[in-house]
Amino acid sequence: MLAYFVAMATYAGFFMILAQGLNLQWGMTGMVNFGVAGFYAIGAYSGALLSTRVGITPELAIALAGAIAGVAGLGVSLLTVRLREDYFAIVTLGFGEIVRLFALNEDWLTEGPKGLRIPVRPFDFGLGNTAYSLVYLGVVALVVLVIYAICERIRTGPYGRTLRAIREDDVVAGVLGKYVLRFRVQIFVLGSVFMGIAGALFAHYIQNISPDTFMPMIAIFIWMSVIVGGYGNNKGLLLGAGIVMLILEGSRFLGDFTSIVTSQQLSSIRIILIGVILMAVLRFKPRGLIPEPKFVSEFEKAS
Amino acid sequence: MTAQMIVNGLISAALIAPPAVAFSMLFGILRFPNFAIGGYITVGVFAAYAINVQFGLPLWLASLGAMLAGSVVVWASDQIIFRPMRASAPVTLLVVSIALTFVLEHSVRLIFGADVKGFDLPLERPLVFGGVHVTRPQLYLIGAAVLVVIITHLLLTRTRLGKAMRAMADNPQLAEVRGIRSVLVRIAVTLYCGALLGISGVSAGLDLVIEPLLGWGLTIPIIAAAILGGIGSVYGAMLGAVLVGLAEEFTTLVLPSSYKIGVGFVMITILLLLRPHGLLGQPEIKK
Amino acid sequence: MRILISRRRVVTGSTAAVLGAAFIPRFASASDPINIGSLTPNTGGGAPYGGNMAAAIKRTVDQINAAGGVLNRQIKLTQEDGETNPETATRAADKLINVNQVMAILGTWASSVTLGIMPKCQSANVIQMCVSSSSDIPLRDTKGLVFNFQVLNPVWGRALGQLALEHGYKRFKLMALNNDFTKSILDGFVDAVGAGRLLEKPFYYNANQASYKSEVSHLLAGTPDAVFIPGYVTDFTAIYKDIYRSGYKGRVITVTFAASGPFKAAVGDAAEGILHGYPIPPLDSPAYKQYLREAGLEDNGQIQHPYGTLCRDQVSVLALAIQKAGSTDADKVKKAIFDVSTGPGKKTVYNVLDGLKALRAGEEINYSGAGSPVEFDSRRQTVDRDVQLYEIKGGKDVILSTRKG
Repeated sequence: MLAYFVAMATYAGFFMILAQGLNLQWGMTGMVNFGVAGFYAIGAYSGALLSTRVGITPELAIALAGAIAGVAGLGVSLLTVRLREDYFAIVTLGFGEIVRLFALNEDWLTEGPKGLRIPVRPFDFGLGNTAYSLVYLGVVALVVLVIYAICERIRTGPYGRTLRAIREDDVVAGVLGKYVLRFRVQIFVLGSVFMGIAGALFAHYIQNISPDTFMPMIAIFIWMSVIVGGYGNNKGLLLGAGIVMLILEGSRFLGDFTSIVTSQQLSSIRIILIGVILMAVLRFKPRGLIPEPKFVSEFEKAS
Repeated sequence: MTAQMIVNGLISAALIAPPAVAFSMLFGILRFPNFAIGGYITVGVFAAYAINVQFGLPLWLASLGAMLAGSVVVWASDQIIFRPMRASAPVTLLVVSIALTFVLEHSVRLIFGADVKGFDLPLERPLVFGGVHVTRPQLYLIGAAVLVVIITHLLLTRTRLGKAMRAMADNPQLAEVRGIRSVLVRIAVTLYCGALLGISGVSAGLDLVIEPLLGWGLTIPIIAAAILGGIGSVYGAMLGAVLVGLAEEFTTLVLPSSYKIGVGFVMITILLLLRPHGLLGQPEIKK
Repeated sequence: MRILISRRRVVTGSTAAVLGAAFIPRFASASDPINIGSLTPNTGGGAPYGGNMAAAIKRTVDQINAAGGVLNRQIKLTQEDGETNPETATRAADKLINVNQVMAILGTWASSVTLGIMPKCQSANVIQMCVSSSSDIPLRDTKGLVFNFQVLNPVWGRALGQLALEHGYKRFKLMALNNDFTKSILDGFVDAVGAGRLLEKPFYYNANQASYKSEVSHLLAGTPDAVFIPGYVTDFTAIYKDIYRSGYKGRVITVTFAASGPFKAAVGDAAEGILHGYPIPPLDSPAYKQYLREAGLEDNGQIQHPYGTLCRDQVSVLALAIQKAGSTDADKVKKAIFDVSTGPGKKTVYNVLDGLKALRAGEEINYSGAGSPVEFDSRRQTVDRDVQLYEIKGGKDVILSTRKG
């Protein structure tokens, strides 16, 4: 039973890293990235190929995978940084799908639909299975915390305040012109780096990846985490990722308690339930469970 | 060969244009991209299936049933979910609409099962015009799509309701001030778009295959067409659908067809970089 | 008639029992149960097949439990949805292994899912039974725990290719779903007809597209005598409609589960003349006929539930192996699986209850299933089997020939 919770916590950890990357991109600059799966996949495949084909030590491969994802993020953001919020969403969704198609079709590189096996284990101190899984969870938790610290520093520092001002008010953004674009690209790249790292950590954990591991669904779950947790709020999204994982995996236990419906019917009911719960949470708490406190100026407080 | 590709592209466009018009209207007037269009289409096609195959009634009657089902579902989801949340950020509504599309798709699957199905209509061999083949139902499909576009255009330009819809799309606050009853207009929009999406489901079921994932597979090309054409423009949605349909046909000349899905996205990206408001869209005056 | 009446009684009785049992949480029964899990594609791309698979597994487990279980223990089955998506399936497998403590996971269909959960199953020493077709499956199964109930190699593709040649076709075009499984069938076909007879290299398409017209145009360019399209039923139905509507008069060849019952219902008379083949089950196999009765299906002269039958076999073979091994220890059971299914000179049994009875009487058995005769090679892959070839005539699958595997 412990092994199960350790595993679920690890998966939740990957979601948290992805959510933090996404929140950086959206929460700080309003860039609605629906291509999360694409950066996740780039990180996963790069990390996997570096450590299995090129023979780089896996810990280093994970870091490099983040960098490669960052480069992809640079490309995407340079192309699209001027686009309107809603349009940015569909273009990034396209990016995610094109990455998946590339992984599917170019099997000389990625093994295509067969998928890639990753027998290499990072952080392997020669431990038994249970201890190893705890170590992995520890590493993922550490990465989550480090990224959290980085994001908080950005948010509370002057850089972050500028970014939020840009997000809230287009006129300010208009006045600042090119400056805004530079900020947006920088933040987008950083967010992509985090997503790439999550992907490489994920690949080395489950030890087997294939193109259909990276479907658009992932973007949707991460978005749920960010919004359910709290619109743009760093603390909130950790809670959000945990809750989404809880809903996804907790709903499996329904089947253990009833036998009236068939397995296939139960599966549909489970997904309907997940959808309804998520809709209900957002309907009644549209700013999320831990909404970001609104920025109130000194002037307003005084009056 | 080229002529056939053009005809094929037009048939695809005929499939995509009516729902693209609906998406564009919903986006323009309700102010968020509604990803549940896939779920609405799926509901429409299965409603038609139930009437046509399970109850044995003719397809034209089933199509009306599909339009009714579409209207009810779009209207109800708006009343219960989207309208109460109308002050939320568009991306929140987008995420909610995705959750909705899963609920709709899986509800349909729960009731009808996951097997492929077909309407009670024999498949036809094609008519051939100078080396180009097309079946009669496909011609009807194209005709129906053109009709939808024309009717919608007339609705928006010649009727009071239509003008009210356009006013709400342009500037909701001003529209309120000028006495336009936004609640009623909103209801009308959802009912009308729901009917369009319902009938689109029937077309998709005829041309492709009736199964729960039908709507999801169409969602991306529909949104691509609507954005390409410019949100809020009916003729833009049609133009966008034609472009997307033709592009997907002609890309297979240069790229392997396994990359076809990516074409719509690449087109949108390029176009939006050059014309950020789509081909026929109006630049918005931001508040 | 007799069968119908008793089935109705069984249905009424069991409904009452189930309604009662549904409100009682099913915790471990007093005597230690045997835990097994199923991870079928109930949703996603494999959904047309997943429902039958899950139902067959449950039905067979219920049958065994009703007759007293295995080794005097009841089987406790936990069923999860793989969603045809390895990302979520690995979490479901985690639950099955760590929470439900299963000794085996049955019913995985997509090879990405089978391979995706393999690392966890291997390290937990959990047996896997799949119907997937990646050649990587035996390569990555270092502990000998994964048993593939679907034919792995392209014998099937070769049989279809040979059939096509016998019909006199000389010019072919090929197209397949972009997927491991269909690729290997394609290779077999090309092997049999010879690359020289192809008008062009084979190409691939993706599932769930908004239109297949350009692929179909490409496929039919040059007017081949015959086209071969291995795919799954949802994409094949859409593609076949476009082929028919383009006026193509040549022959269409595919794999049986693409041209299944629902396909025939969806396209009606237009299905006439399609050639297809399958290594499973000969229509006249006693086990297959038993399956039809168990599942409440009519024997209508068509291949039905190609994957449901294999899942019934999975449960049956597992139960028999546990009985033979006298324990649920994976290392013993994995050897016993060979004992109860493979090899000559033993008593043939067509269902699990007969097999259990025979084992308890000390006999050696060879289980022959509803989905296949179930013989494994040393890499735990289902051995080359007879491939039966059909033509759709009058809405039925008419047997044309049987090719020895």
